[in-house]
Amino acid sequence: MDSFPVCSIQLTNVSYFGRRSDGGRVRLLDSVSFCAKPGQITAIIGPSGGGKSTLIRLINRLTEPGEGRIELDGKDIATLDPLELRRLVALVPQKPFMFDGTVLDNLQMPFKYRQTTPPEAGSADVLDVLSSAKLDPGLLERNARSLSLGQQQRVGVARALITKPQVILLDEPTSALDRRTSDELASTLREISHGKSITMIMVTHDLRLTQKVADYCFYLEAGRILEEGRAAELLAHPNTAALRAFLSEPLDQEG
Amino acid sequence: MDNQGLVNLSLLDLLAAYGLVIVAVVLARLKRIGQEGQMLWASLRMVFQLLAVGYLLHFIFAVKSPLPVLAILLLMGVFSLQVIGGRIKTKVPRFYRVVGVSLLIGCGSVTFLFCTLVVHYSPWYDPRYLIPLAGMIIGNSMNGASLAAERLGAEMRERREEIETALCLGASARQSSKPALRNAFKAAIMPTVNTMAAMGIVSLPGMMTGQILSGTEPMVAVRYQVAIMCAITGAVAITAYLIVLQGYRRYFTRAHQLDFEQGDS
Repeated sequence: MDSFPVCSIQLTNVSYFGRRSDGGRVRLLDSVSFCAKPGQITAIIGPSGGGKSTLIRLINRLTEPGEGRIELDGKDIATLDPLELRRLVALVPQKPFMFDGTVLDNLQMPFKYRQTTPPEAGSADVLDVLSSAKLDPGLLERNARSLSLGQQQRVGVARALITKPQVILLDEPTSALDRRTSDELASTLREISHGKSITMIMVTHDLRLTQKVADYCFYLEAGRILEEGRAAELLAHPNTAALRAFLSEPLDQEG
Repeated sequence: MDNQGLVNLSLLDLLAAYGLVIVAVVLARLKRIGQEGQMLWASLRMVFQLLAVGYLLHFIFAVKSPLPVLAILLLMGVFSLQVIGGRIKTKVPRFYRVVGVSLLIGCGSVTFLFCTLVVHYSPWYDPRYLIPLAGMIIGNSMNGASLAAERLGAEMRERREEIETALCLGASARQSSKPALRNAFKAAIMPTVNTMAAMGIVSLPGMMTGQILSGTEPMVAVRYQVAIMCAITGAVAITAYLIVLQGYRRYFTRAHQLDFEQGDS
């Protein structure tokens, strides 16, 4: 298939059931299987309500799958301590929550949770993630909530990077950003993924972003993966009518 | 009894006092302010309810064995649980179990310690002491419990994003919900703390006033009041702490996953 032999994250026949208001179950994800490789950006694209966010939440065990198996480097994540797992697999939410305090406070939070000494403002770790996320070190002492959405999104990425995870999951990373900021973030993500050989999985309906950064791409609709392939090829030559329809409506915005 | 300071109210005295209500009702009627119906109804309710309680206490105070007294305390607790349940709309999962156990431990332990270590009377179950003291402790804990449970439920929902972000960064369920727990606990004990701080300046507490009116030396009454306030604070704090501590767990699975559907009844 590819030059990378090993899957960093592998899903095998994963299904997820949601609860309807009348108590019944609905299948939100239907036998989803895929492989995400280290050093690559894997995009999962598709319309809203197709189960994209749920899928990503399964990978760091914010939610439990109904059926199927999810592996991190060949190990079933259900057998790992969830706290350990989340230290290896970081999720950056759609709109990263900024904790009360400065940007530095936010970057130190993961260490406080692990009860280890957090790195100081001038330390190599902090400076490294700041430069990876293209944040000015002058922002460290600023109140995180006073930053622009684009900057907050970067703080979210930096905060996920600082503990050196193997996998980064991104949920609609550009949904709150304007075109320019979103393009900047795209190049940032690309550099991080290739430079640090981190596995990146992002769910998005942003085709521009997918075109710019994704190596491999899955099309998810109504809980099923309908198509997959190298991002450039898939977007240029969709096979199914569903993906063709999705690609022809690029202005579909998600909340 | 040696309560020489006590002025007993005769039925005539009571009628005179009731006259004040009648005056208010007549005034409201003449000046067309309204509310006279409510005033009259409420005053009548008060009379009958208190008469009923008076007779009930008369019989209860005659009880000479611990079990009936404990049964009454339990009934008071169950009743307060019912009141809290009615007051709160969005309940913590397994609400009655969480709040019930907390109330039982919080009020039970404090009342027991208070009666054995602070107020030494015998027998320990003497309903004349135990019931009013436990009543005050349960009543205040009930308010604290309802604030704690309500605030916790609201905080968990309002802070959902924050909690999940923390979980994503490797926080445990406990770490991620710490701000929510703190706020819920604070909301529960604030009224009691404020009452203590204002006591004697803004208001003379009811129990102390009552004791003084019935002939107790003010300094003795003050000591009682201080003691009971400490007991109330302790009971409210323990109850609220237990509710918050048991309550937040109900929002999480064992794998530190936030789950609002887990029996959110």
